Amino acid sequence: MNCEYCELRKSAVLYEDKDVAVIIKDMAVTPGQITVLPKQHFTILEMVPNELVEKCFIVANKVSIAIFEGLGSQGTNLVVQNGLSAGQTVPHFAIEVVPRKEEDGLNLQWQPKPLSEPELESLLSQLSEVKVDLNEKAEAKEKQEIKVKDEKTEMIVEKEGKNNYLLKSIRRTP
Amino acid sequence: MPQMTPEQQKELQERIKNMSPEELQEFQKQQCIFCQIIAGKVPAKKVYEDDKCVAVLDINPAAKGHLLLLPKEHYGIMPQIPEPILAHLAVASKHLSQLLLKSLRVDGTTIFVANGLAAGQKAQHFMIHLIPRKEDDNALPFEEKLVSKERQEKVKVAVENKLYQLLGVKKESIQLKLPQEDYFEEKPEIFITSNNAKRYHKEKCAFAQNINSEHRIEMTPEQVANSGKKPCTCITGEKIPLPAKTKTESELDNSKKTKPNKKASPAAKSTKKNSKSRITQKEEEEPEEEFEPEDEHKVDLDDIANLFR
Repeated sequence: MNCEYCELRKSAVLYEDKDVAVIIKDMAVTPGQITVLPKQHFTILEMVPNELVEKCFIVANKVSIAIFEGLGSQGTNLVVQNGLSAGQTVPHFAIEVVPRKEEDGLNLQWQPKPLSEPELESLLSQLSEVKVDLNEKAEAKEKQEIKVKDEKTEMIVEKEGKNNYLLKSIRRTP
Repeated sequence: MPQMTPEQQKELQERIKNMSPEELQEFQKQQCIFCQIIAGKVPAKKVYEDDKCVAVLDINPAAKGHLLLLPKEHYGIMPQIPEPILAHLAVASKHLSQLLLKSLRVDGTTIFVANGLAAGQKAQHFMIHLIPRKEDDNALPFEEKLVSKERQEKVKVAVENKLYQLLGVKKESIQLKLPQEDYFEEKPEIFITSNNAKRYHKEKCAFAQNINSEHRIEMTPEQVANSGKKPCTCITGEKIPLPAKTKTESELDNSKKTKPNKKASPAAKSTKKNSKSRITQKEEEEPEEEFEPEDEHKVDLDDIANLFR
């Protein structure tokens, strides 16, 4: 599959080792946004092995500190868009670190939608049905299920790909 | 928090001023609602709990199922968190995101962290937001725009030293791949001219190619602007009429007749100028090279105008 992040094109590479890469993309919500990603291709967070998730977040934290000091930011946002409906544009898991300043005009906030007590109760019971186990062993059992899910996402990505502006511009004859 | 009288507020401010950083942190912990939730003093809907962290349902969610993942210890922002704890939180957020995907049947999650007031952090306690997402819910706007290569470079320069220091790597040991050029705007344009030429040209322009390598000068757009030279038609975009192919033989004869006359006048002018400014013979040759084709155009224009008469 043709993945923008795997090829690391269109971006300035700030740092890379065998596991992770830190890049500055040509697309950003605000200049100074830095992206941390595993070098191996994983579409969504759930596919990334625990160790790599840890490393990505630790590196993202260091990027965040470097942004605080290097760019003189007053704050940082970390954003993971996990899945198409979360606004993920590249089918490769990545953490976006966004430098923030007061009155920078960015709106990374949500409209609160308060829930009633019974709604919260039913939600809680719904969420309690699945047990959360941070061990990799538990993960192995679920792997198959995730795979199916992933194929679905990829199919959607492929479908979307036909209308992708990047592809359009490539196919456009001069 | 209970309402305080102005006097009490003043007293409190005084106390805060005199506190040591350790005391201040302790004080913040006492005031922190999330620390009280973790301690069980304030009720909350806990979805997950282990020895290092707790996940609760947000009471002001961006979407149904919005979770807050909190470290049990009080930290203000992410840089304060020790690596093992952060690593644990990262793994926990992965699994909680998975939980949301499975049990709420959503097809995406947004993982969001705000460090500092400017980033929209509202509570004093560090937390990771896990927001279940559905298509077109617009729960979190995140619009990316194109950033110029120069700004990318600036960011890199500003951040790299600190980052390398934090990552414990030497700058020299890192291979810095520069972005491939063809993805960005083309190289800065170079214009071709010579010492005596009145005009400057694009590289591909026929005039530019006529200039000998001896006299050829390459200039940046800025240099050209300061040189006082005029742009050639290849730059202004004026149409250069097609050469004599369409002309009849008699017209060609005409143009041949008119040519020498017209040619003579600028040549004469240039020799006058040259004698004044004492320009050497070598340089004298060169303006002619340029004048020739320009004059041809003039003739062509006349001829074409004549065709309409």
